[in-house]
Amino acid sequence: MKLNINKSLSSRIVFYVLIFCILLFIISLSVIYTNSKRQLEAMTYKNAEALANNTVLKAEQILGPITKIANNYKWILESSDLPSDSIYSITRKIIENNPEILGTAIAFEPFYYKEQGRYFSPYSFREKGAIKTIQLGNSDYEYFVMDWYQIPVAIQKPYWTEPYFDTGGGNALMTTYSIPFYKTTNGSKKIAGIITIDLALDWFTDIVSSVKILETGYASVISKNGTFITHPKKEWIMNESIFSVASELNNPELREIGREMQKGKTDFVSSTLRGIERKMYFTPLPSSGWTMAVIFPKSEMYSPLRKITLTLIIIIGIGLFLLTFIISKIISKQLSPLSHFANSAHEISEGNFDAELPDIQTKDEMKDLHDSFAMMQRDLKKYIDNLKSTTSAKEKIESELRIAREIQMGMIPKIFPPFPNLHEIDLYAMMEPAKEVGGDLYDFFLIDEKHLCFAIGDVSGKGVPASLFMAITRTLLRTIAPKQHSPREIVKALNQSLSQSNESSMFVTFFLGIIDVETGHLRYANAGHNPPAIIHAGSEVELFETSKDIPIGLFENYDYNESDRYLAKDDRIFLYTDGITEAENWDQELYSEQRLLNTLSTLKTLVPIEIVMSVAKDVVLHVNDNLQSDDLTMMCIIYSGK
Amino acid sequence: MLKPMKRILIFSFIFFLLASESFGGQLPKITFTPHWLPQAQFAGYYVAEKMGFYDEEGIDVNIVHPSASTNAIEQLKSGQSDIISLFLITAIAAKQQGIDLVNIAQISQNSALMFVAKKDKHINKLSDLNNKKVGVWESGFGEVGEEIARSNNLSIEWVPILSSVNMFLIDGIDAMTVMLFNEYDQIINSGLNEDELNIFSFADYGYNIPEDGLYCQTKILMSKQDELQKFVKATLRGWEYAKNHKTETLDIVLDMMKKEHIATNRSHQAWMLDKVLELIEPGSKNVKKGELSEPDFYKTQSILIGNKYIDKKIDFNHFYKPVKNN
Repeated sequence: MKLNINKSLSSRIVFYVLIFCILLFIISLSVIYTNSKRQLEAMTYKNAEALANNTVLKAEQILGPITKIANNYKWILESSDLPSDSIYSITRKIIENNPEILGTAIAFEPFYYKEQGRYFSPYSFREKGAIKTIQLGNSDYEYFVMDWYQIPVAIQKPYWTEPYFDTGGGNALMTTYSIPFYKTTNGSKKIAGIITIDLALDWFTDIVSSVKILETGYASVISKNGTFITHPKKEWIMNESIFSVASELNNPELREIGREMQKGKTDFVSSTLRGIERKMYFTPLPSSGWTMAVIFPKSEMYSPLRKITLTLIIIIGIGLFLLTFIISKIISKQLSPLSHFANSAHEISEGNFDAELPDIQTKDEMKDLHDSFAMMQRDLKKYIDNLKSTTSAKEKIESELRIAREIQMGMIPKIFPPFPNLHEIDLYAMMEPAKEVGGDLYDFFLIDEKHLCFAIGDVSGKGVPASLFMAITRTLLRTIAPKQHSPREIVKALNQSLSQSNESSMFVTFFLGIIDVETGHLRYANAGHNPPAIIHAGSEVELFETSKDIPIGLFENYDYNESDRYLAKDDRIFLYTDGITEAENWDQELYSEQRLLNTLSTLKTLVPIEIVMSVAKDVVLHVNDNLQSDDLTMMCIIYSGK
Repeated sequence: MLKPMKRILIFSFIFFLLASESFGGQLPKITFTPHWLPQAQFAGYYVAEKMGFYDEEGIDVNIVHPSASTNAIEQLKSGQSDIISLFLITAIAAKQQGIDLVNIAQISQNSALMFVAKKDKHINKLSDLNNKKVGVWESGFGEVGEEIARSNNLSIEWVPILSSVNMFLIDGIDAMTVMLFNEYDQIINSGLNEDELNIFSFADYGYNIPEDGLYCQTKILMSKQDELQKFVKATLRGWEYAKNHKTETLDIVLDMMKKEHIATNRSHQAWMLDKVLELIEPGSKNVKKGELSEPDFYKTQSILIGNKYIDKKIDFNHFYKPVKNN
């Protein structure tokens, strides 16, 4: 299930919708079921009560008058002294006048009528449509010990006998109503005998048997002793009592119900009989003291509800199935462009910017997505096209720059030692532009056999403009230097040439020196360049004095100063551009002149190439991978003359 | 393949053999009458008959119940029944009155009789029965109760009752003589709980006298000694079977009662069977099953003499003629 849910968005949505719907249905169904159940219970209970009470009423309509008839004759017998023979006609009359009565006896106490002896009990009864009258008592029929006689005499009250099968008259179920009547002689009231009325119970059985409730619910009448007078199980009638059934089912609860019935109570009870919980309403039949009970299985009360619920569950089940089907169809249809979009995105990522997008007809979020996708496609395409041309342009520039660098590097001398035959001088220089091409320059050449001209300069700015300016400066230097013999003049001439038509107002700090290799006389001009350092052999390191002149290229007619000094044997001149002293590390700390001097002081005895390389290494150490921001240019000359 | 003629001859021979067995071997007939209507009290006889125990002994027993017009003693006197069952006390009284009968076996060894009273009548001890109305069967079995009353100096108004317990239930009487196996359970089955009743079992007052026994006339004892012995043997076997197969026994009893249209129910008959089976056990009495104890006989006779039902004594050996077991 989980796998399926995770599989796709649509099944996940369907799953959650389904869960919600099921929960909703369960809650609604439970509420409906509980309420309906309660209503059904109340209805069924009322129905059971009504059925029982109606049946009791119907029964009483017949049983009630019987007691009245008996009472009427009791009054007649008590109010007058009737001759014994006339009793026969009374019993006969009772039968004649009351078609519902099967038989009646007026049974007297022994020797009530002396002439009739011990037994006198005129009895009229119906037989095959005729009315017969006999005298019931004799030595074989000691009616004094019969329940119908003995009990009302003993309790001095009317008595309904326990129903019995009339073995003489077709095995019909019968009951006998007996009431005692009295004779008052000399003020004392004494029992004279018993009037009985025999009543068939077939009508009663019919009434009760016709009562039906729910599917298998029924009514039953139970005698005073608990015996079943009517019951759907014929074999129970007059055989089983509620107590014998309770005993056989080992159900003390049922026995207790039976005892409540005997007390004449009305109640609604439930008891589990043979594994089925049954509801029972019982109420007494007032005249006879019997009990009318309406019994039905509890579960049947809910059977219509169960049917409806089952139908509902089936309908809901089908509904949920259809809902799932339809929702998943709708959602899949609605979301199907998404996978198409995903495919398109995949294609786009692989470079196919013309990948086809799903066709969206709706004007919803999907349409927005489509438009965004389409826009992205267009922009990407444009961007990539742009990028392509930019890249190619950049590549072109880069290649041009590479060539420019080669040209620039080709312009500065790079053969060391430059003058192998000139023993007084050794020299080493290096230039490392910050970009492809740089604005620094150095140069050295012999003006004549005994004069070495050397120069170092730094063009304002960096990159291509600076490099072009550097190239111009260097070319001019080479052109000018052989014509002029003084550094001041060379610098002045350079300044003049550069200043003319210097539209971009670029300038160069420039240091130029000429060494007389025989005498060690050094003349120099410094146009705003960093003062070079001089390492005196066996002594300290010092800087040249700071220039008071402006860089070249600014004012055409500026007059530059010239200075001079003599070099001792093994003096080393170290020239550099501000790329060295202003090299920054990550903490923006400059390499500084001081550190340069300190470094140089440790290099006093080394040859130029070693000094340049050592300083370069120290600068790299200082910078520590920080970006090189300026061109690095150094030149070191050792004078070994005299 | 046999030839047709030969086949006919063989079948005829087989038929002849079967026919001669059923006609020629006709079993001697014995008619037995229990002293009351069909119920589990007589389960052993019904089982013996139904299970073919009598047939196996080689006797053809016909069980005839008493009816409204005749009782067991009448059946015996008239010769319509060879064997009848009777209460010991009834039999002694009958013999005293000159009826020719002898006890050939004593089935029940114990007394099931008791007085029962509702607790709300406050009859908590035997003496509380003094001046009370006590029901007793009109048809008999009142002798022991009367003897208990006499020996305890109780003045009791005996109320004859036909057969139901309704007089007791409706408080027409204060107490009633009942059989443990029958009326007592009827009372329980009419809704009274055992804890609402006080019972006075006769056995607890020294009157644990035997009840159901088998009787025949002296001439039958002479002429049908062998059949009687077989009847007793098969009957005891029937009781033994009933004891071990109660469900089956109840089915037989209920079937019998249904045929005779007697109202009852299974739970009552089950109770009766249990109690009757207990009554058959001799317990601490010095007799075997089916035998009559001599002291019990004299004790029973003394009750009758005490109540002046009889005036002369019968000798045990004249009364008890057990059929010999071979």
